[in-house]
Amino acid sequence: MKILKESGERKTLNQSDQNEFINSIQSSFKNTSYNFDTLKINVNLSSWIDTHKILKKDFNLSFFNWLSAVDWDNEVKTGDAPKEPVTPSFEILSCLSQTNSNNLVISSTVISKENAEIESLVDVFAGANWHEREAYEMFGINFLNHPNLTKLYLPDDYEGNPLLKSFELISREVKPWPGDVDVEGMPEDSIVVEEKGS
Amino acid sequence: MSQTMDPNNMPILSEASVSVEIETEDMTLNIGPQHPSTHGVLRLVAKVNGEKISSVEPVLGYMHRGYEKLAEVRTYPQVTTLVNRIDWVSGFANEIPFIAGAEKLMEIEVPERAQYIRLILTEMARISSHFVFNGAFPLEIGALTPIFLAMEDRERVLDLLESVTGGRFHPNFNRIGGVKPVAGAGPTTKKDIQDLPAGFYHDTKVAMEKVLKAVDTFEDLIGGNEVFQARTKKVGVLTKEVAEEYGVSGPILRASGVEFDLRKQSDYLPYDKFDFEIPIGENGDCFDRWSVRTSEMRESAKIILQAIEDMPSGPIQAKVPKVIKVPKGQTYVRAENPKGEMGYYIISEGGLGPYRLKIRTASFSNISILPIMLEGALLPDLIAIMGSLDFVLGDVDR
Repeated sequence: MKILKESGERKTLNQSDQNEFINSIQSSFKNTSYNFDTLKINVNLSSWIDTHKILKKDFNLSFFNWLSAVDWDNEVKTGDAPKEPVTPSFEILSCLSQTNSNNLVISSTVISKENAEIESLVDVFAGANWHEREAYEMFGINFLNHPNLTKLYLPDDYEGNPLLKSFELISREVKPWPGDVDVEGMPEDSIVVEEKGS
Repeated sequence: MSQTMDPNNMPILSEASVSVEIETEDMTLNIGPQHPSTHGVLRLVAKVNGEKISSVEPVLGYMHRGYEKLAEVRTYPQVTTLVNRIDWVSGFANEIPFIAGAEKLMEIEVPERAQYIRLILTEMARISSHFVFNGAFPLEIGALTPIFLAMEDRERVLDLLESVTGGRFHPNFNRIGGVKPVAGAGPTTKKDIQDLPAGFYHDTKVAMEKVLKAVDTFEDLIGGNEVFQARTKKVGVLTKEVAEEYGVSGPILRASGVEFDLRKQSDYLPYDKFDFEIPIGENGDCFDRWSVRTSEMRESAKIILQAIEDMPSGPIQAKVPKVIKVPKGQTYVRAENPKGEMGYYIISEGGLGPYRLKIRTASFSNISILPIMLEGALLPDLIAIMGSLDFVLGDVDR
């Protein structure tokens, strides 16, 4: 009973292949960046779907990795605000990769907060379904033509979009982070002080 | 009974309508969120027509803890505590891509010895995760024995993990630039390992030999079992095209015949220094998924045995500032975890913590395939298919 085949040829990192891939992406798309080993394409909102179709067909990026969003804002209720002022907007990120190499592309587009809607990728990659539902409930982004745009994790009657920077982390309001303030003294300490005073 | 019946109110039988064709409606069957085979709290709303499933809708969120939000109010060293708890069956492996991402943004070169320790412990996490699978999967489809064998063998590996990190499931052992310093740790030689517990070299060798034996036993006991074969062969076949479209990764993708393993293709840990094979399945059914994972345990043990032999000496921590501040930048670092590809997209704005941390987990994408795989399947196969996907709800809900 032998149903496994061992991949005989040892694959090692091929740097020249990777450079070739990056060059081909950079020559095909105008607005790209390559920092910290991460290739990112900035695309216009209107060509969001077409870009993914091209990447899937022409660049063999058939593996749908993930999709998510970023809330860019200067006034934040949780965490630190960006050091340099940013234009308040949503950035949609998607990640596609190949299944025969380490090549990977992050696509990014920007949508306004007032009109937070974008075409759904479900027709190109069926796997985008759950990722878009998550972005919908966490950021309030409307994905047009999505087959089932309902909440994924949160209860149906939940109000608010938790990953927005304007959404407060309630636990921090109720109980401050222990690292921020000195820990209160133990009850025994105060009793001792009273006894000494009396 | 006839005494109490009022003869005036008796139903008139001739008026009762009997339809010749019996029409049946699909029954809605709720599976979970407390069902043992759901590995946590997954709920499936299945529409069944007799024994046949016509559609399935997974309901998630019973364990959603909001780690992406929590990471925004924590500093970088604090995030490793959170990510341990994503896939708790292999907690150590979750830390690696996050730490590697932060190191990439800070442009820190990690000492070789620290990388070797990380690699050994990651592979131990993989072995312990696959032990759980080898116990739980046969259990769900009716074989009780393997879980006792698997848990005993896993304990040996967890003991080793505990002896190094202090934690069995949530080690929180990685530091930015290296691994957790131990009192008295310094430049060490191969045989005189100071930053690893005394006897680690010997104990690991013994444990790995036992792992190799356990794998042989499992292949015989589980894989050779006719009932197991009947329940898993040609059940839940997943084609590689569908798997890629849904982002299904790890052993499930490899069982469908895709030769993709980030340990070979990426350089997040020095895997290129060791000889090991990537098991690939042919049919993409439940049996192949079991078989790929079981063979992977053997390869992992082989990697650990080689790494222990070649263990370089030297420091285990690179020089880092006292207060970790990650410069502005964005990066995506991914790793081959026991359950599949895990990655972190870190957006740093130069602060003490990430501005946004997107966590890509394997099980989330892996179970998004459930509605497709279960459509038209038989109800008993549902348990086999779910078991073969080997997901953990903490990894799905984050």
